[in-house]
Amino acid sequence: MRGRRLSLFWAACAVAGALLVAFVVLPAASMIAGAGAGFLGEALRQGDIRRSLWLTVSAALIATAIAFVVGVPLAYLLARRDFVGKRAIEGIIDLPIVFPHTAAGIALLMVWGRDGIMGRLLAPFGISFTETVAGIVLAMLFVSLPFLVDTSRETFALVDERYEHVARTLGSSPGGAFLRVTFPQAWRGVLAGAVLMWGRGISEFGAVVILAYNPKVISVLTFELFEGFGLRAAQPPAVLIVIVAFVVFLVVRTVLLPRRGRSRKGSA
Amino acid sequence: MIGLRGVEVAAGAFSVGPLDLDVPAGEYAVLLGPSGAGKTLVLEALAGVRRVRAGRLFVDGADVTRLPAERRRVGLVFQDGLLFPHLSVAANVAYGFHRGNGERTGWLRRPSAERLAQLAEEVGITHLLKRRPQTLSGGERQRVALARALAARPRALLLDEPLSAVDVEAREELQEVLRSVCRREGLTVLHVTHDRAEAFALADTCALLVDGTLRQTGRPQDVLRWPADEAVARFLGARNVVRAVRDESDARLAHLATGVALRVADPLPAAAVDLVVRPEDVEVWPVGAAPPGAANRLRATVVRLVLQGGHVLVGAESPAPMEALVTARRAEDLGLRVGAAVELTVAPACVHSIPTT
Repeated sequence: MRGRRLSLFWAACAVAGALLVAFVVLPAASMIAGAGAGFLGEALRQGDIRRSLWLTVSAALIATAIAFVVGVPLAYLLARRDFVGKRAIEGIIDLPIVFPHTAAGIALLMVWGRDGIMGRLLAPFGISFTETVAGIVLAMLFVSLPFLVDTSRETFALVDERYEHVARTLGSSPGGAFLRVTFPQAWRGVLAGAVLMWGRGISEFGAVVILAYNPKVISVLTFELFEGFGLRAAQPPAVLIVIVAFVVFLVVRTVLLPRRGRSRKGSA
Repeated sequence: MIGLRGVEVAAGAFSVGPLDLDVPAGEYAVLLGPSGAGKTLVLEALAGVRRVRAGRLFVDGADVTRLPAERRRVGLVFQDGLLFPHLSVAANVAYGFHRGNGERTGWLRRPSAERLAQLAEEVGITHLLKRRPQTLSGGERQRVALARALAARPRALLLDEPLSAVDVEAREELQEVLRSVCRREGLTVLHVTHDRAEAFALADTCALLVDGTLRQTGRPQDVLRWPADEAVARFLGARNVVRAVRDESDARLAHLATGVALRVADPLPAAAVDLVVRPEDVEVWPVGAAPPGAANRLRATVVRLVLQGGHVLVGAESPAPMEALVTARRAEDLGLRVGAAVELTVAPACVHSIPTT
């Protein structure tokens, strides 16, 4: 009887999960099916789509790299130290998640635009964040950095701090203990956060369109084609970015993060 | 040597100290106390991974209070080994080589390779060097952790419950390894545990930490025989602690509230005392069979019998409530059963008295 109840429970879980997976898969699948068999070649032959795809992927990568350099130390600090204002900082880092993205774009424009404090400060050096790649990177960085910082912080917190204590007594400085002992145990989580952040970056529309309509990232190009030429014209870039994102996620989750899931049970 | 002078350490609302402790060079000291007494805080402070609130810490004669952990040259072994899971056993042991004794040898260049082989031989892990930590048993992990700590040539070794995650057979072997390796290396050791048997098996010196204060320090047999206070006595397994007052004319006679009097070997140190008797010092006899002239004879009724390995703990109701520990064979010979009438005797030399606080 108990076994039957358990199997019913798991069946209910599976049905609920299947519904959710179908909810995600269905629009993506129908978009790919609707585009037709030769859509990929057709899409890649179009120079503006090719350029836009490269711009989107590379801008998101640059934003992720910047977040890695400044976000990973912050994540480590939040995981290991208690200090006044820590909760406030955690809240601030998460703020972009709840910010409407168009509002984020406007807020960024007010600081980094031509009349904003940072915009005015950097203008003499020829650095502008409106209608430039730098603006796209900035918008992507703002809206997606919580994914890297939060995931990294949780991963660092899972590594027993006493490993670092042992490393310190064996001669490592705090930085050495981090690099030689903690990061090697946490890199998978940090990478997962980076991939999530990158994925969030390539899909960004609201903040990017306000800060830098041009050059066009794939989401902006898709919107423009849809507005100008209808559904059929907007399908190739949309399908292309979905496929690129899917392949990257699949490779990272199956090849680079093999320890995720059940096999991580009981490990640090 | 290891020295603590007025050391206070805090973790949240809990604090330990002020503590004063000296472990002479080459000595194996055990900091013994119940869980939550603050033992690990003391080790962490000595290792340099926790700040002291007050006081000074000394290692090998040098004041290390303000030195960062990496410059204290103090080895640290935790109860679960904490081997770095991303490194092989050999790489774990070699982690601290770059610092050892001023030698900067680089990754497994000749002197380190020799030292690695020597250490592996010493702690019996030569056959494990290529393995991953995840594939080792609890005892093997602790051996590797010990080798890793020794590889950095520490001036003192700190062990935090190193045997508690190890099964009984491996524990005895590991105790032997700890004792022999530390002696051979001439190391000063501070070993923290809540396990009395472990402490007495290893310690040259025992320090008792209860509720964040150091209650007593001394040789294991002295601490066991003459506990400084009731909490120490009870923690060390002296199950019989009764309150008594000194006889007005005979300083070696103590009166219990129940009217019975117990004779002690040494004059009582105060008018009001706690009398401490270890259960193994209480002898059980059939009624009338106790040796004539034996002091401290008590008529009692057996109320509880608890088998403890090869011994039986006998709970007896008498004018001075006593528990006795007898061998299982002796219990069988005496035909002990609950409700049986027996006679108990306690030699005056086995009654320890502590002034009532």
